[in-house]
Formats: sequence, structure tokens, C-alpha cells
Amino acid sequence: MLSRLSSWARGVFRRDRLETDLAEEMEAHLEMRAEHWRAQGLSTEEAARRARLEFGGLDRYKDECRQARGLRLLDELRSDTRYALRQMRRAPVFTAVAVTTLALAIGANTAIFSLVEAVLLKTLPVARPGELRELQWTSRRWKAVAKNYDGAGRGNAAKEVVAWSFAVPVFAYVRDHSASFSDLFSFGGITRVSVSAGGHAELAKGQLVSGQFFRGLGLDAALGRTLGPADDGPAAPAVVVVSDAFWRRAFGGDPGVVGRTIHVNTAPVTIVGVTPRGFLGVKPGDAVDLMVPMAQLRIFDEPADSLEDAGRWWVRVMGRLRPGVPTEQARVETETLVHQAIVPAGPANEYEPPRVDLNDGGRGIDTARWAFETPLRVMMAATGAILLVACANIAGLLLMRGAARQREIAMRAALGAGRARLVRQVLTESTLLAVLGGGLGVLVAYALRQVIPVALRPVANPIDLDMEPRVFLFAFSTLACLLTGVACGLVPALRATRVGAKLALTRPVAGRAEGPRRLGGGRTLVAFQVAVSLVLLVAGGLFVRTMVNLRTQAMGFQPERLLVFQMNATLNGYAEDRLDDFYRQVIERVGALPGVRTVTCSRYGIPDQGATRFGVKATRDDGTTSEGKAYVHYVAPRYFETMGVPLRAGRDVSWTDGRSASRVALVNQALARQYFAGASPVGRRVELEGKSAEVIGLVGDVKFYTRETPLPTVYVPYPQSSQRSMTFAVKTSAEPSVLAGSIRAALAALDPDVPIYALRTQEEQIDLAIRQARVFAHLVSGVAVLALLLACLGIYGTLAYSVVRRTTEIGVRMALGADRPRVVLMVLRESLVPVLAGLAAGLVVALAGSRVLSAMLFGVEPNDARTLLGSAALLLATALLAAWLPSRRASRVEPMSALRCE
Amino acid sequence: MPPRADLLPGTLDLLILKAVSLGALHGYAVLLRIEQMTGGALLVEQGALYPALARLEHQGLLESEWGVSENNRRAKFYRLTAAGRRRLKEETAGWEALAAAMSAALKARAGEA
Repeated sequence: MLSRLSSWARGVFRRDRLETDLAEEMEAHLEMRAEHWRAQGLSTEEAARRARLEFGGLDRYKDECRQARGLRLLDELRSDTRYALRQMRRAPVFTAVAVTTLALAIGANTAIFSLVEAVLLKTLPVARPGELRELQWTSRRWKAVAKNYDGAGRGNAAKEVVAWSFAVPVFAYVRDHSASFSDLFSFGGITRVSVSAGGHAELAKGQLVSGQFFRGLGLDAALGRTLGPADDGPAAPAVVVVSDAFWRRAFGGDPGVVGRTIHVNTAPVTIVGVTPRGFLGVKPGDAVDLMVPMAQLRIFDEPADSLEDAGRWWVRVMGRLRPGVPTEQARVETETLVHQAIVPAGPANEYEPPRVDLNDGGRGIDTARWAFETPLRVMMAATGAILLVACANIAGLLLMRGAARQREIAMRAALGAGRARLVRQVLTESTLLAVLGGGLGVLVAYALRQVIPVALRPVANPIDLDMEPRVFLFAFSTLACLLTGVACGLVPALRATRVGAKLALTRPVAGRAEGPRRLGGGRTLVAFQVAVSLVLLVAGGLFVRTMVNLRTQAMGFQPERLLVFQMNATLNGYAEDRLDDFYRQVIERVGALPGVRTVTCSRYGIPDQGATRFGVKATRDDGTTSEGKAYVHYVAPRYFETMGVPLRAGRDVSWTDGRSASRVALVNQALARQYFAGASPVGRRVELEGKSAEVIGLVGDVKFYTRETPLPTVYVPYPQSSQRSMTFAVKTSAEPSVLAGSIRAALAALDPDVPIYALRTQEEQIDLAIRQARVFAHLVSGVAVLALLLACLGIYGTLAYSVVRRTTEIGVRMALGADRPRVVLMVLRESLVPVLAGLAAGLVVALAGSRVLSAMLFGVEPNDARTLLGSAALLLATALLAAWLPSRRASRVEPMSALRCE
Repeated sequence: MPPRADLLPGTLDLLILKAVSLGALHGYAVLLRIEQMTGGALLVEQGALYPALARLEHQGLLESEWGVSENNRRAKFYRLTAAGRRRLKEETAGWEALAAAMSAALKARAGEA
């Protein structure tokens, strides 16, 4: 095998050498033979002649030698390619259309696939990722397992809770007793921390990691060292390993960074190392900047006893399986150990041992992938569909060209080209088109690679992915190109070469009266394109309506001329009165700036910026109470005025409603309706978090989440509850974005170590919240329009070609008295059959398939009749337009000239 | 000229392997050796030798090297590889078995079982 490969490779890459060798070898033979005859007494000429005669056909044997080395296929491929290039030069419009179509289709597919690869498929850049497992537990009574659960979880079909967080003592017990794992390590959630380094403050993402984290991952530092178990002791000094991205951002890639001290949430921490470039942490899409040992949990504001408290389940656990240990064996052992670890902590009465599963951890923790799975599937389906349409389109065009080249192909067949050879030749042409298109497509994908991940993330944070192009991706594109080439070319190739050599040569091809049957393949392709286009149009229409509905819905507040930003002074050690005072000073300083009308702050930004619901109890006049849930929102004075939320009754909160003043609250109309039966709530009492507060005002309803209807809400003055980050809102008298600079300057004067983040206008904030819907609307409708154009091109091409072929028939019909409108109608009718068939098929698929999208839609049903019929009408109208041009040409046929063609 | 016998498929390859088994030979010498070995009974068109040599080399049964012939001419010499030697052994055994069976069959007379 190897010898064949190397001999073939020699033949391919040292072709000239091979040819001269061959010639020289045979020449030597001839001369030696001639010498032999001369020795027998023949004349020089006669000897040479005899030698050649005995040798036989020199060229034939040379060719057989090449063939023996497997080179003939290559020669043919080379000549096919030359031929295909000549054909492409001869039809530049066709080539340009085909290549552009394929470039867009393959480019879009490569771009989406690169995202799929980065989010769903890519393994962590660590040693032997296949050995990593993440621990997961499942229980029916999960509260009995974890008294105080803090982390991600989900319900499954069996009404159990699937959870990933563990208590540190449970983790430590499993780590110390496990025989199946060589290393077991844990880490907390990713939290925002305030970092000041070298006079520059910023908000970064930090994570607490256990001492075995880096050893378990098998990850070495790119600079300095990673963390080890010694760093995770109670007496160990505070150290941090920073990411490559943070190192470049905050230190400009300074190699002397190891040993420097930075302040994380005001605590001094020493940098000991930098992680390698491709490592973004263990949660796909959410890059970590700072990795700090668990023992330093106070810096991260975790409760001090979190390392000992067996009731607080907050760390995720991963491990590296020992080589050769079966997963099931490790699972059973871990399950037993987890149970043993829980029992001494005194589990609740209803406790049942949780089931433990080991998920594949090689791609990082799982939860991040869910959020992207559906959007990615939709995008993949849309771009896959466009590739199909593009293939159908080019297949249609090739089919017609094949028909036009029948005479030529028949000639080649008559000259002895086998059918396989002819098919291969047509396939070479389509594959060449696909490769050219694919090459351009990869450039398109490269251009899109930074745009798409930014667009995909549903909330304000950008998604952090390593999107560097990879060999794997090129393999994907190459495969896509080749498959596309074959898919486009196979049917046309088989059809074009089916014609018998004799048949095609003996009768003229063009001008012969032929029924529409002759183009059956082309018509099926048109129907297919119409069907796919319709499905895409319907999906695009639904997403556009979703976007418009989201953008134009009444949010309950006025977003115009509002600037918002966030600060979190708790990270810098501000607390209680000092914290309240700091936020008040921010409001006052910003309020004093020219161009600012009012300033306020609130715990959460709107929309889609957090806000959770708590239990509330409302007491009516008659002493009856009603309980339920309501959003609790913490606000500063003038919040309602600044946001443009109407105050219906009572008064706003004021600075006198402080930490120690009597508790007050405002409620919204939804709450008043639901809990006070519509009576004015002012002066009554609500109870939240076990504390009673007097209702001092009634305000309009505001949407906290873009896809929710307004829900009952209680507003509390922010000093009357504990706070962390704050969202400030500034109403300006002019364009809000111009104030950004002066706000930053004013606040840097207040405390330069407290960073400002997420500074943007309120309208940008809303756009961010509905970004995913916008991306879908643009992407899918863009793809749909492209599909529509391609389908029109297909309809036009098929019909135009059919008209040319039927010139004689049309001429005869007209000579026999058919008038022009009748000819137009006849041609239109013929084109309508595949379009209508495609529409019918597309409607069925769209009706059945759009239900998948229902979770991503807003204010529109998946089977929305207006969208379905509108899309069908649009498609039909465009199709008619595409068909009208060739049919008009048909009606212009001059009967006499048409007949003369024959 | 002696009577010509058509080559059975595969026999040329076997003859070439046999011819070069005793030492490296260039193409023309392979031809002469075959003529000598078969007493001139098996003749082929001389050019047909070269595709067969190329095929055997491609399969890794032969290896080639440029050298100088007995009368000082540049020529390509073929030599048997280890794989070629194995193949020659197998083929020879196979051929002998076949030849024995054939000749036994052809010598059979009526009455003999």
C-alpha cells in the first residue's frame, strides 16, 4: 500500500522526471535491440526498424505504463478541469451567478457551523479532555438533599430535579475517597468582581477554584505558574491566576506581570500566573478573567462558612477518570461516596440518596450549551435550506446547459468516450463551480466570524468564544463543496449523457417540437425551490413580526433620552450607610452636570436585567389577606419621574425613607387589581420578606421582561433593603450619549476605584434585550429573500430555456391561429404547475414545522394565517414575474422565422 | 522461428519476477533472460514488458535504479524486493500445483478413475 502511494506520489509530483525516465528507458531498449540486429549483419536503418517493429506501439505502452502507476485518472482529471474552465469562461454570466450563489450558501453554512463547533462541539484545550467527567445528581426530594442550594438546576420529565452544585464537604469527601478519579476538583459560579490594577479599575469575571483545578484539567501556565493545593489552604497568601485575555487587556501583555499585586474587590491579591491563550474557562461562552483559590472566598463575598457548611450546595465538581476505569464503575462509586458524605450531616427525614451521573466534561460544563442549542438549530436549518436551494438552482442551470450541449456530448460519445467518462466530466465542472464558490464562501465566513457570536447572545454580555479558524472547519467547507458539487452535477450529468450517440446526431436538437415532459427534472427542481423558499419566507415572516412586536410593544415607561449605567460599590468595600450614601452622591454629582434633567437609580435595569419575584402578603381594609408573588424592585427617589412611569396616586419615595425610617412601598396597578381588588391601595399594608410596609403610592405597570405581561410589583426605597449593584438612569435634555464622558469624569472624581459598566442609552438597552429576536428576523428573512431570488432565477431559467426549445412549436401554433395572449397564457400555465405544486408542499411543511419555533415567537402564532398567506402570495407574485418575461418572449415569436429554423 | 504461445494472464509477471530473482537486470536484459529461460517459446511484443515492470514496481514487488549496462549505456535496473521474493515463491508454488494438476488431467486415459 505504502509503495503504491509513494510510487503514485512520485508520479504526481515528479511527473516530468517520470516522463523522461520512461522515454529514456524505452529508448535504451530500442538501441540495445538495434545493436543486436546490427551484430547480426543488418544495416543501421534496418536494425532500428526491426527493433521498433518488435517493440510494438511505443506510445501505447507508455500510456499503459502511466496507467499502471495510477496516473491516467489524474491526466483525465487535469484535462477535464481544463475543459470545465474553458466552458466556464465561455458562459461568464452563468459562472458568476453559480459561484456567487454557492459562495453565499457555503459561506453562511461555514459561519454557522463554526459557531456550532465553538459552542457545541469544541473540547476544552486541556490534556486528554476525554477523561473529564462532570458530576450531576438527581433527586425527587432535592430540598432534603441540599438544604441551601445555590446553582443551576432543572426539572426532568420524571418530575425530579437535576442539579450540578455540591457542598464543599461532600466534594472533599468524594475527592479523598474516590478510587476512580485521579483528580477531582471544584469551582464556584462566575461572578463579577471589581479589579483595580495600575490605576485602572474595571469589572472582570472571577471564579473561585479548588486547589486541584489546574492539575485536574492538566493545564499548565503560559507564564508563571498555576494554582496548586498549597494555595488553597486557610493560611495561604491571596493569589490569582489571570486569563490571557485579561493579561493583554489590563497589562498589555507585559511579561513582568507575575508577582504584581492587584486589588480584587479591594483585597490585595498577587498574580502568580497567566493561563494559555485558548483557555477561556470551563463554561463555554463565558470566559473567566481571574481564577482565585477557594480559600479566598471572602474576597468573592461568599458566606465565610461556605467551605464547611454541608447544607450549602454551591460548587460544581469535575474529575479526571483514571485510565481504564469504566464510567459506570466510577458512577456507582461516586454515588455511594456522595451518599456517605451526606449522611453525617444529618439529612432531613424525607431524604433519599440522590442518583449521581457522570456527564462528559471534555467540552466544559453543560448548562451553557442549552441556551444556544435552539437558536443554533434554527440558524443551521435556515442556512442548510439555502444550501439546498442553491444546489437545486445550480442543478437546474446545469440541466439546461446539459440539454443545450447534447449535440456536443453525443459527438464525444460517438468518438468513443464512455458514459462514466462523460459523467465524470460534467461532475468535474459542477465540482469546480462548488470549489470556487466554496473558496469565496470561506472568505465570507471568515468575515462573519466575529459578528455572529456577538449577535447570538440573548442578553447584554457578549459571548466569549475562541473563533479562530481551524483545520476542522476547512475540512467541513471542503466536504460541503464537494458534496455540493456532486449534488448539483449528478442528475444533470446522468441526464445529459443518457442520450444515445446516434440519436442526438441524426436529428437537430434545437427547434425540435418537444413537450414540457422533456424538462421534467427542471420542473421538479423548481417545485422544490419554491417549497423551501416558502418555508423560509414563513419562518422569516414570523421572526420579523416577533421583532416588531417586541420593539413596538408598550413597556410602561419612556425610553427616550435616557442614559443608563451600572456600578457596584459593595465590591469596593462600601456597606450599609456608606453604601447608601455613595449611591446618593452618585445621583447628586451626575444630577449637577449640565444637560441632565433628573437622575435616579434602581436595583435592576429594565428590560431583561434581572428582577426576581418574592412572596408578598397584602392586607386589605377588612383585615383579610391575600398572598402571592410579586417582583420587588428597589428604587431611589424620582425613579418614576425619570423613567416616565405614571404615579397614579400617593407619593414617591424620598430620601427620608432611609434605612431606619418606617418601611414604605409603592405598588403597581397589576398588584392593586390582584391583591386589593382594584381599590386604592394607598395607606394599606403589604408584607414582604416577613416585614410589613405601608403602601404610599400607586404607579403604572412596567414590563420587567420583554416577553412577559406586567406582573404585580412592589417598589421599595433602596436603603430599606440590602443592596449590591445599582443601575443608574439619567434623563437628559438632549442626545443622551454625549453625556457619557462627563459622567465618567464626575464619578472618577468621587472614587476612581469603583468602575462604571454597561453604560448605554435606554434604547440600546432595549435593543440588546431583543437582540436575539432581531438577529433571527434579519438572518432568516435575509435567507428567505435570497432563496426567493434563487427560486425566481430557477423559474426564469427553466422557462426561458423551454421557450427557446419550443420556438418551432410556438411558431406552428401561431401560424395555425393562436394569438399572442394565448401563447403567453400557455407558457405561464406551464410554469405555474411546478410553482403551485411547490407552494402546496411548502405550506404543508411550514404548517407542520413552524410549531418548533413557537417558543421563540412573541405576539404571533406559529400557524399565523396572515404570515402563511402573505408569504405564499409574495412567492406567487414573484414567480409570475419571473415567468412573465420568457412568456412574453414566446409571444413575440415570428411564425415564419420559427419555421425556417427547422 | 519457434512456435508462439500466447501468454496466460499473470504469466508475464511471474516470468519477470523469476528473471530478476537472480540479480538486478535492465528491461532489455529481462527480455533476453525470459527468452533464454523459455527457450524462446514464450514471446511477447517487447514493449509489453514495460507496463508489466511499471505495474510490479508500483505494487512494490520490484525496485528500480538507474545504472550502466554492460556496453556502457545508461539503463534502468530492476531488482526484486522482499515482497517480490515472497510473491515469487507463492506464485511458483501455485503455478507448479496448477501445472501438475493440468498435466495429470491431460494425461488421463479412458478407464482410469
